[in-house]
Amino acid sequence: MSRVTVQVRDAGGHVATASADYVVGLQPVLGGYYLSGGADPTADMAGGNFRSLTQYRSFADGYIFPGYNRPWLITLGQSGIQMNMVLELKHYGAPNDGPQSFTVDGTSYTVPGPTMTIQQRPGTTWPKAYGYGQVLAHQCDGLFARALAQYRTLGFGVNIQIASEFDTDHEFGTTEAGVAYTWAQSDARAVQAVNYILSWFKARTLPAATTFSVGIAGFNRECFQRIHPEPLMARLDFLQWNAYATNANHTALSQFRRAKDWTVADLGPIARSRPVIIAEWGVRAAEIPNQAAWIATVPSAIGRLNAEGGPLIARTNYFNSGWGTLTPKATGLAALRAAYATPPYV
Amino acid sequence: MATPTVTAALNGSVFAPGQQMLLTVTYADADTQVLTLTLVITDARGNKSAPVEAIAVIDPLTLTVTDDSGRVWARVSDNGAVAVYRSVA
Repeated sequence: MSRVTVQVRDAGGHVATASADYVVGLQPVLGGYYLSGGADPTADMAGGNFRSLTQYRSFADGYIFPGYNRPWLITLGQSGIQMNMVLELKHYGAPNDGPQSFTVDGTSYTVPGPTMTIQQRPGTTWPKAYGYGQVLAHQCDGLFARALAQYRTLGFGVNIQIASEFDTDHEFGTTEAGVAYTWAQSDARAVQAVNYILSWFKARTLPAATTFSVGIAGFNRECFQRIHPEPLMARLDFLQWNAYATNANHTALSQFRRAKDWTVADLGPIARSRPVIIAEWGVRAAEIPNQAAWIATVPSAIGRLNAEGGPLIARTNYFNSGWGTLTPKATGLAALRAAYATPPYV
Repeated sequence: MATPTVTAALNGSVFAPGQQMLLTVTYADADTQVLTLTLVITDARGNKSAPVEAIAVIDPLTLTVTDDSGRVWARVSDNGAVAVYRSVA
């Protein structure tokens, strides 16, 4: 950080000063990836400038680090790929969503089943999640202990993103133990639970280079503000949002910048100082059949956003799944490789 | 005498090495006055010289730019209220 200072002095010696700060020599943005189903992305990333990866795990899962049958995650992490591990209170719907009993480092834990529902979109089956009240009542400590014990064996530090998208989770309210909460109430309860989880992990020895963030899609401005209070941001290392093009008039600049503009306009100086992980970005082929052409516009959009000031986008992980599914895959991957070989990615 | 005012704004906050940086300085002082003096010499017979004008600034302002990274900022323009400086990242 450099500072240029301007001083104005009048004939009587009265002085006024002003200054402006700037940074020179930005680090390259890390180009990243996610492959549908949490599948092994090694072949897709080989030979390309892929330096970042998103993964999803449920705290309910007994295999969080590196994940069940996922030895490749260790290989990739040891080779320097920066891991964004999304850890969710959401239960992924395995048949057994009842209580769990297990032992971690000689300590026995019994964790009750999840008692909250999220993503309560009408006409759908609402997923279960460990409740924010359950977290605050210490009922989930065993889940955290299990995750930490596995994390310590990985051999490298990761970013832990708590939840995938709190706005998606809360959009239609939540229900815990029979009590309904509005979107805004759910956001406030989630912030409390995140603070609890952060306190739990930060009170213990963590692998070097461990960082934290919270997950949000970034489609609702009020929710975005509620999820990022300054006292919470002081404990987090990154901002995070996702960026999708699902309409023919969605440009890379417009999709990556929306939540950034909210950050600059609505959040405090601590939040604004944090770099950004785009845990997911993607182009939906239904509306934008030429995915490759859209992907080709991403480097200049990211470069322009980072030159504007405000929070710097540090990592962008393409979501080759769901909305972002590359069709045909080979064409999309070639476009990604070309994009990640272009400044600001190099 | 009034204290001057000044603001400084860069055209960005993150620059690649070699990139041009522009600094816009806006400044003012309530006491600063620009006077135009017009002189005419008249002799004993009433002959008058052509008028001569001179500009005088009351309480002029001095602007200095310093940079803690040692970069040199060159003045591009200055109209007495807004000055633009340029440097290279």
